[in-house]
Amino acid sequence: MTTSHDLDEITLSIWEQVQHSADLCVKCNICTSFCPVANVTDMFPGPKFVGPQAQRFRNPHEISVDDSLDYCSGCGVCSMVCPHGVKVMEMNAKARYKLYKTKKWIPLRNRILGRSELLGWLGSPFAPIANVTLKLKPLRILIEGIMGVHRDAPMPAFSWETFRGWYQTVHKKSPQRVISDKKVVFYHACSVNYYEAFIGKAAIAVLEHNGYEVIVPKDQVCCGLPMLSNAEFDAARQNARTNINSLVRYARAGHKIVGTSSSCTLSLKSDYRHILDMDDADARLVSQQTYDICEFLLELAQAGELKTDFQPINASIPYHSPCQLRAHNMGLPAIELMELIPGIQIKHIQADCCGIAGTYGYKKEKHDISMAVGKSLFEQVKATESDVAICDSETCRWQIEHATGTKMIHPVQLLAQAYGLT
Amino acid sequence: MSLYDTVVIGAGLAGLTTACHLQNKGQRVMLIGHGVGALVLGSGCIDVLGYQPVESVEPVRAWPDKLSSFMADHPQHPYSLLGETKINEALHAFQGLTETEYQQNGSENWLVPSAVGAIHPTCLAPPSIAKGHLGDTASMLIVGFEELRDFYPALISQNISAQNLGIETESLTLNLPEPGASKLNITPIELATLFEQADFRQQLVSVIKARCQDYDRIGFPAVLGLGRHAKVVVDLEKQLGRPVFEVGTLPPSVPGRRLFEALKHTFVQAKGRMNIGTKVVAGEVKDGRVTQVQIETTNRLKPIIAENYVLATGGILGGGIQTDDQGRVWEPVFNLPIDHNSNRQTWFTPKFLSPVGQPVSSYGVVVNDRLNPIEDTRPIADNLYIVGSLLAHADWTQGRTGYGVALTTAKHVADLLG
Repeated sequence: MTTSHDLDEITLSIWEQVQHSADLCVKCNICTSFCPVANVTDMFPGPKFVGPQAQRFRNPHEISVDDSLDYCSGCGVCSMVCPHGVKVMEMNAKARYKLYKTKKWIPLRNRILGRSELLGWLGSPFAPIANVTLKLKPLRILIEGIMGVHRDAPMPAFSWETFRGWYQTVHKKSPQRVISDKKVVFYHACSVNYYEAFIGKAAIAVLEHNGYEVIVPKDQVCCGLPMLSNAEFDAARQNARTNINSLVRYARAGHKIVGTSSSCTLSLKSDYRHILDMDDADARLVSQQTYDICEFLLELAQAGELKTDFQPINASIPYHSPCQLRAHNMGLPAIELMELIPGIQIKHIQADCCGIAGTYGYKKEKHDISMAVGKSLFEQVKATESDVAICDSETCRWQIEHATGTKMIHPVQLLAQAYGLT
Repeated sequence: MSLYDTVVIGAGLAGLTTACHLQNKGQRVMLIGHGVGALVLGSGCIDVLGYQPVESVEPVRAWPDKLSSFMADHPQHPYSLLGETKINEALHAFQGLTETEYQQNGSENWLVPSAVGAIHPTCLAPPSIAKGHLGDTASMLIVGFEELRDFYPALISQNISAQNLGIETESLTLNLPEPGASKLNITPIELATLFEQADFRQQLVSVIKARCQDYDRIGFPAVLGLGRHAKVVVDLEKQLGRPVFEVGTLPPSVPGRRLFEALKHTFVQAKGRMNIGTKVVAGEVKDGRVTQVQIETTNRLKPIIAENYVLATGGILGGGIQTDDQGRVWEPVFNLPIDHNSNRQTWFTPKFLSPVGQPVSSYGVVVNDRLNPIEDTRPIADNLYIVGSLLAHADWTQGRTGYGVALTTAKHVADLLG
């Protein structure tokens, strides 16, 4: 095999690669012309300007050059469309860290939004009350006034029973639970644990249906991405280290780690190494063993090992591929997988980003931008007149559901349905 | 289970067109691009033969008449390899791929104004650009905006006048009306989305209407909408009561972006698979056949397996060919041999924009008449096909043949595989 570049043989640290990739920029402006944010607001001049162009002024000993950087949503479309391999989004994430370091101050709002796990931990035990209370407009206006969390931003409903609680107290004791030599590790992330336990349950059902024993490590924590994107690198690194230490044991045993949240698995795969500079052997091993759940299942299909006892679903369903999923650079396994279901028509919506970008669209000053970014997507979803739509990423589902009223599901829920597991 | 019949590597015009043709013929195609191709930097028009002899300053009008002398001058050029019939078939097939009706000016080139008011000879153009044809003497008013940098209506209008084409031209530079009035600077794409707003167009028309009465047609920078382009043009023409046309801007180009989006739409609608942002880093050849390519996902190399592989990665500018300071020249996916001179002194002529092109731009992969790469005369892999600027002897600047080569070679591969 003629390999011009092998991931294992990288001797330069990735930190250097991200920074040095500015030198690859030929200023063609393709990134700016595709940037979902720059095209709807004057607050953000575009990825080329705040990325490779400003990079040359970012001397380590000097203050950061431009506050407009904070309006980058981190969707990563710039890095995807760049034909020259410039890591624009990664560069901007690092520059934002520096920007806030120079300011020596991160707003409380950003610190709270960065702690989705803490919010889930606080809210979940009071789910029935919290879910009703957080829908009260006067309260939301108050929260907006005090905290700067936009009154209309989509609030997910807390799960009364956490996923981990269900796994430990119900599933582990169930006689139907699959025990097998074929094992896979499930990284559930905060959204499944505190908000959408049903997606975790669907994932386990689909994996077990295919003969896998599913391990759910107890000591896993939030991936840290919400903190990373709010410039709290030190806190994000702590979470990253906890996860790497938890997951590397299984990775060493050759087990694959799967997740249903495309941005959280992207953190394990890429952000720890490329943005947080945690590029040690353990981090690399965890990264290499991590799979998006559809990616994992599609590889089973390619190897002829996926069960195809699907019941037909005769429906045409719109699907949005989130930016954070496309950033895995693996293609769109969810579509190929779902199209194995007889009768299904997947209508692939052509949109780069829904606008929410994790915590971005929750912020008072950025909510309108986030809705403008997602406008075309929302219109396309509405035009299908489908009462359900599919998306891999949780905040995107919440945003699209909030904007269109269409019920949103994860691809694995559709698979579970087709297998007759729900 | 192999999921794909054909893997196309490269998302420029050659790659996208090949992928669309094959997918439309019922194949399962995976298109992989390391970023978005150069299509979004191009004019959005299809140039087939603009100058012949290539160093001539006089643009070609009836291009089919000049084709045989071009082929005689360039016996190894892909046109010479595939012939005139294939070129015509390719143009015809391309016209079926986009919703926008690409128009041909009989057997002549359109002569449309460039971003500096020079003549751009082109074979196929979207109606919005064709209406600026300089072979037609209808008078024109060129409109621009202070906030859109690098588009100078006066320069364009004066250059058109200076060429004595018998066209009366004038220029008009405006400030952006509401809702764009607060902007100091605007990109072509942003302006295109503004043009899609009815209130913006109305404001604009109210400013222009009185000042355009003496002119037969009105030229705008090529920013008349993106997804709703056709509607924008119809509405402006109705409100202004005369034809409206587009003049190219500096890149990135809105008509180029429209063409990219249109081909992408066609491909995805036909259930083609697309992975943009991912690099193909290696290919494996065993016993004269490609067995797999490997893509670089975020965290590992992943094999992609198909029956056939089409390499459309472009030339030196597109990244399909790599060079270094030792004078080495190589093709990075399959390490295919590149016909080249290792003395770097010979790569360039002293003139940057030389009409005969740069010698280095002709470097590429040598192929047989099935477009399989060859070493000596033997195919390296008979299920590997080369299309577009990666081909040897296909300097896209020479005679402006780049897009013609892309379409013709794409059509040829589609015919062989479909």
